[in-house]
Amino acid sequence: MQKSCSGVSMTVSISQEKCDHCGTCISVCPANALMLLTETLLVDTNRCTCCGLCVAVCPFGALQPFSSETVPPNTTGTGHG
Amino acid sequence: MADVTFDIAVIGAGPSGSMAAQHAARQGRSVALFDRNARVGTPVRCGEGIGLKSFVNHAGNRPEWTLNRVKSSVMVSPSGIKVAIGNIDESYVLDREKMDFDLAAEAVKAGATLLLSTPVTGVTRTPDGKYQCHTPEKHYTASCLIIADGVESRIARFLEWNTALSRDDIETCAFCRVTSPLIDKDACVFFTGSTVAPGGYAWIFPRGKSEANVGLGIIGNRSSSGAAKEYLMKFIDRELPGCHYTNLHCGGVPVARYVRPLVCGGALLVGDAARQVNCISGAGIHYSLFAGKLAGTIAGQAVGSGGAVNYGVLQTYEPLWRKQYGKQQDRSFALKEFVMKTDDAFLDRIASSLAKEPPEKMNYMRVFTRTFAKRPLLLLKAMRLFG
Repeated sequence: MQKSCSGVSMTVSISQEKCDHCGTCISVCPANALMLLTETLLVDTNRCTCCGLCVAVCPFGALQPFSSETVPPNTTGTGHG
Repeated sequence: MADVTFDIAVIGAGPSGSMAAQHAARQGRSVALFDRNARVGTPVRCGEGIGLKSFVNHAGNRPEWTLNRVKSSVMVSPSGIKVAIGNIDESYVLDREKMDFDLAAEAVKAGATLLLSTPVTGVTRTPDGKYQCHTPEKHYTASCLIIADGVESRIARFLEWNTALSRDDIETCAFCRVTSPLIDKDACVFFTGSTVAPGGYAWIFPRGKSEANVGLGIIGNRSSSGAAKEYLMKFIDRELPGCHYTNLHCGGVPVARYVRPLVCGGALLVGDAARQVNCISGAGIHYSLFAGKLAGTIAGQAVGSGGAVNYGVLQTYEPLWRKQYGKQQDRSFALKEFVMKTDDAFLDRIASSLAKEPPEKMNYMRVFTRTFAKRPLLLLKAMRLFG
């Protein structure tokens, strides 16, 4: 189930091209919704609370708020395990 | 899914993780050292400047890791007033890529198993108190866990720690390697000011003749998406026009109090993951080397044959850290809290009063005593920060 803000489903979209895999976004994520694999940043849309902290601290601007009912497949992840 | 067992698992092969793995392995324990990257040490996420004394204490004398000795520091105030500090401790610019690579290699030499391209996606605790590290390929079980996953500090959150940083406690950084004839080989230069790096500073740390590590950090609560990179590009255009740059990367520096507790059950936190960073300078390598070595040694002693853990021995890590650097780290946090409340005019006033003094007599202590002159308690903390 995706969280929603003001009735719109929201999460973050990740530009894998801009992402440098530094982990700054993960350090501030209060929901532990972000995870780095070897060269891919994933967001767990079930955990993401769309607080926007990760967007604000990304040094390269690789994260953007994303509002839609459907999330692009390359930005989804299943979390841990 | 296959399951592999080690005495001790170390997550993250940066300086603290590799030191921990090396020293745990030296105690005769079986040690797994995980890193999600295919190669250790690249890309470098660091300004690479360091004072020699604290470094040698924990890493030994390693001339092969130093690229350039710097003779002085220059601090540039928001309005451009330069304060030259000629009386500095022996300081160097490091080759972090080589250092990290060598430290991981030394862990392997001591007997640790280095598992590259192996991201640990989660950790769970088994009913018998062991730690199961989940990776895309296999599960790894260990009696003791040393968490060294850097600024992101995500692994600890699977074990009841809350390591998420507030926006006030993270510096968001961008940096690159610059070639320019304008670089002074002999001086580390620091630039402050809200138009240069809000709530942080920009640096030029010379790696050698005409080459430097150039970067900046912005405090998280004054950052917006992509701001660090934009500020860096503006800074380079202004200070090093026409330069050539490569290796543009980014990173975060925690400027928080160190995490408490540092030990929970059979798990220990070290390095940036434990927020063991000087909150004023952003320096963390010496803390990381010390904490990694200490945690690794203690874990190696605490885990016995058959994987039995003496949890009381593990608990000695935090007080020993606190005694060596923890109090100092706390002071740096208190000073940061004050510095964040100051403005450009305040920094300019201090710079203008210091600029008149002879560089050869100027040291960091004098800068701090002037900065905190009207705050006796902070002044005391500042004086003990470098002691």
